[in-house]
Amino acid sequence: MKELRVRIFRFNPEAEDHPHYQHYQVRANDGARVLHVLQAISDEMDPTLSFRYCCGSGQCGSCAVRVNGQAVLACMEEAKDSMTVEPLELPVIRDLVVHMEPYLEAIASLIPTGEFRMPTHEEVEAMKPLRSCIECLACVSVCPALKVTKFAGPTVMREDMRLAIDPRDHEDRVTASVADGLFTCTSCQACWKTCPKDIQIPGKAIEKLRALANREGLTLPRHQEVAKLIQDTGRSVTRTEPTLMEQVPEVIEPRGEVKGTVGFFVGCMYNQRLPKSALDALEVLKRNGIRVIIPREQVCCGSPLIRTGQVDFLDTIKSRNINCFTFRGLDVVMTMCAGCGSTLKHDYTTPFRIMDITEVLTRFGIEQPAPLAIKATYHDPCHLLRGQGIRDQPRELITKVVDLVEMPAICCGSGGGVKSGNPAEADALGELRRAEIEKTGAEVVITSCPFCEYHIAPHTDKPVKNICTILLEGYAEKDRKERPPA
Amino acid sequence: MLLCDAAHNKMHSDEEREAHVLVIGSGGAGVRAAIEASTYGETILVSKTLAGKGGCTTMAEGGYNAVLREQDSCDIHFEDTMNGGALLNDPALVRILVDEAPRRMEDLLRWGAVFDVTDCCEVAQRPFGGQRFARTCYAGDRTGHEMISTLIDRLHSTEVWVENEITIISLLKDGDRVNGAAGLDRQGNLRVILADSVVLATGGGTKIYDISTNSSSGTGDGYALGFRAGAELIDMEQIQFHPTGAVYPYDARGRLVTEAVRGEGGLLLNINHERFMDRYDPQRKELSTRDVVARAIATEIMEGRGTVNGGVYLDVTHLPRSQIETKLPIMLEQFLKFGVDIRDEPMEVAPTAHHIMGGLRITPQGETTVPGLFACGEVAGGVHGANRLGGNALADTQVFGRRAGDAAGRAPSLEKIADTMGIDAIQSRLRTFDQGDVQPSTVIRSLQVAMWEGAGIFRNAKDLEKTLGIIDHLSTLKMKAPARENLAGCCIAGNMLTTARLVVKGALLRKESRGAHVRRDISQAWDNRTSPYSHTYQSLEREGIEVRP
Ligand SMILES: Cc1cc2nc3c(=O)[nH]c(=O)nc-3n(C[C@H](O)[C@H](O)[C@H](O)COP(=O)(O)OP(=O)(O)OC[C@H]3O[C@@H](n4cnc5c(N)ncnc54)[C@H](O)[C@@H]3O)c2cc1C
Ligand code: SF4
Ligand code: SF4
Ligand code: FES
Repeated sequence: MKELRVRIFRFNPEAEDHPHYQHYQVRANDGARVLHVLQAISDEMDPTLSFRYCCGSGQCGSCAVRVNGQAVLACMEEAKDSMTVEPLELPVIRDLVVHMEPYLEAIASLIPTGEFRMPTHEEVEAMKPLRSCIECLACVSVCPALKVTKFAGPTVMREDMRLAIDPRDHEDRVTASVADGLFTCTSCQACWKTCPKDIQIPGKAIEKLRALANREGLTLPRHQEVAKLIQDTGRSVTRTEPTLMEQVPEVIEPRGEVKGTVGFFVGCMYNQRLPKSALDALEVLKRNGIRVIIPREQVCCGSPLIRTGQVDFLDTIKSRNINCFTFRGLDVVMTMCAGCGSTLKHDYTTPFRIMDITEVLTRFGIEQPAPLAIKATYHDPCHLLRGQGIRDQPRELITKVVDLVEMPAICCGSGGGVKSGNPAEADALGELRRAEIEKTGAEVVITSCPFCEYHIAPHTDKPVKNICTILLEGYAEKDRKERPPA
Repeated sequence: MLLCDAAHNKMHSDEEREAHVLVIGSGGAGVRAAIEASTYGETILVSKTLAGKGGCTTMAEGGYNAVLREQDSCDIHFEDTMNGGALLNDPALVRILVDEAPRRMEDLLRWGAVFDVTDCCEVAQRPFGGQRFARTCYAGDRTGHEMISTLIDRLHSTEVWVENEITIISLLKDGDRVNGAAGLDRQGNLRVILADSVVLATGGGTKIYDISTNSSSGTGDGYALGFRAGAELIDMEQIQFHPTGAVYPYDARGRLVTEAVRGEGGLLLNINHERFMDRYDPQRKELSTRDVVARAIATEIMEGRGTVNGGVYLDVTHLPRSQIETKLPIMLEQFLKFGVDIRDEPMEVAPTAHHIMGGLRITPQGETTVPGLFACGEVAGGVHGANRLGGNALADTQVFGRRAGDAAGRAPSLEKIADTMGIDAIQSRLRTFDQGDVQPSTVIRSLQVAMWEGAGIFRNAKDLEKTLGIIDHLSTLKMKAPARENLAGCCIAGNMLTTARLVVKGALLRKESRGAHVRRDISQAWDNRTSPYSHTYQSLEREGIEVRP
């Protein structure tokens, strides 16, 4: 037996204007789950506490709640001292109970074809991972797109994809999924990472549906333009100023002792649109003994093609990128763009290791910069946090320079082709970021992805800076302090 | 539907809804029944939980028995089922089960169920305990979930009106005939639904035991509702204890550890690391029938050879890691969540109350002994006799769900007269919960412990009588509902008491050991074949045990 203090969201919309939080001190058995704590409260202290559950074993999807902000199954999540339990971010009926029916009803039903054919072994194997959904709606509750635009949500996409594979289904699921909002998904991966059944909806359903849509000529015109641009120029964006590669040599030697050598996969955004951030990064690397090699033949990683389902000439791009680093005998290729990094790590098979720049810097260790008296917040890029599981490294670097105030990690709206294809949605999500940034009281927003940098900037009056830029400012301050007075 | 305000004892009819067929329960049986009934006329399905999320169907892992191959035959499936059931099964029902299970599987496939298939596009089948042929169809280790997803999907394509989160607390009658039901919604409003026929598909009730595999809705409401409406129940003493339920964490005790673990080669060991099944069933060892293994484990624990957590070890660490990962993924995932890596450490398991074989007496059409009332799925009795074979319950839900839905649909349309006396009685009962002083949870806890101790795996008259006494005492307590939303909880606790009483009385009526029912105080000179007894029966009017002709 142990004693736990818990804080629970209470709200009766019929009788109260606002929700409130209630504290309980609960005696719980060893290994108790969140559900058991809720049961103990309702059995012994407060029978009016409303929550849903049924199977108690992660199989029915009735019990999803937020524990310390994370959507989880109450019956599977271990209860912790000082936890806060809240309903999913969906309309609340009472306390921890939310409206689930409208979302469940939106999931499409199979319409049998006239002639029955059993699915093949391959078809079954393709459908199975999509069928393990227990319809807990955790994914729906965290989906940023669904909050700002008309989108049926991740689990609807999941079933649309399953039906698209199923030979027994009669309907055109691809067209239906486009109507359901297929192109509103920002590829933020939040649904996958919160899913208790680990269903990879963005990669296994949404991108696949977009590829099918592409075959049916349903790709958005803006996305087609991007694909054409890549095909013609090797880059997904046009240049607005001299590119990074035009400004630096192929091999950049560090100052002092060489601690390591990395290939640098620059990516379209840093090369064509934000070379300044990349130059700052190169300065930081130089100062910390890392030799950087930038093969000139590299092109777009293909992420904009994969995310939007336009995969026709993807293989050509991939082999070109892989070859240029392999040819130079590099073991480690560094990315600075979160999207490129995630793509190279997951959609490529490479003979070399891919590391994000924050991994490289923390791995080799960096010279301590001077602290700046600045309060900053950090925006986790989706493709860094969820795409690559990188959470601590950026924070380790940032806190060397500034005071960090956290804000919730939510997509800024620029990914998945949404910024080009659905600018209004991207802007709405950008505005949500503005509100969160305001709440932190930070003077600066730091991030580590060119898409986020580029997209958040117009949605806040605070400067948006790359991690390396802030490190460089710390070094500048250090140098200023150490410079002998004139 | 009539909406009544329970607190103010007045009926509004602002949401009046009558239907041709009312189906109670959204498990495999209920949804199948509703799909079928809807072809005849307006059908309402009510469920205590969100449709499809409640009940035990979603939790079923192992599979669905159906004869699909030429080498197999329905006759063998029939014999296996009868032998497994200690010959207490109703042969006519078993015949229907085995003959129709394949066709109902076909329905599921037509509606889109994603079962595992062989390389030749045939439904894959695995071997299961007590069967001479590998006839258990499966969808990985989430078979029931696949079925319910498919059925709910299909239900959405019908005209069936679904009412979620209404707990039915009483059946309503017009004379001898059941013609509707009363329930409580989330807020505690009384809802009345009238229908030409009512299908009871409320599932099982082993939550009356301290340790159980069932979902939170396995409270036996249907047995109690049927009994109070005058229906006869049979073989209520026949409770299947699954040999392997989890013992840790304490609050999740009883959670099913699938039979597939032993099927894959898992070993049962006591605290001295002795493979004790050698002593109980040297031939079949771990793969003996469920009743034998459950009794063996219980004996080891009772005689002091259990673990500190009160279980025995179930060990798969000698198996290749890849086999565990591919064949037992859900077990691996669940135990990992609870801090045990079954690739490196043994699991701890103990018996857990799993299934009620008894239930409302039905005809092959799912008719109960009360006109207008039909039953199917776990709430009905007779199909599984004294011990259910793994994989037969899911088949049962489809075969008898369809039959009950069909028969209910064919029932004539009648004038629907609200059972005002019945409704008044319900309301005065609900009002007593305003003045009560005991939490229903207190009553339930006491009941569960008493049932586990006095009406568990091993039984004798003295303990059973004592348990009956405790149930009687608990029934006199005045339960309290602090708010209207808690009224349903009080009614459910009442249903649990009624169901428990039926189980204990059945156990006293059956003066023999048969299948899952073991009376240690009785020595008998017969076996299943020569037993003089058939079903026990209980209703408001009579109770006893049938003697074989
Ligand atoms: C963990 C587990 C694993 C199992 N594995 C297998 C297996 O592999 N193979 C097999 O053949 N069998 C298996 N069984 C048994 C089988 O799952 C059940 O017997 C069968 O699913 C029962 O189906 P049902 O439709 O009768 O009831 P359930 O599926 O239990 O559904 C009952 C429904 O009734 C509703 N309900 C109950 N009371 C009320 C009320 N008062 N008012 C309104 N609605 C109510 C519930 O909410 C629920 O929707 C397993 C059982 C368990 C517990
Ligand atoms: S990837 Fe993000 S935007 Fe897309 S469906 Fe999932 S949660 Fe929604
Ligand atoms: S996809 Fe995962 S998170 Fe979403 S509803 Fe299904 S199980 Fe829940
Ligand atoms: S209660 Fe069923 S998933 Fe948690």
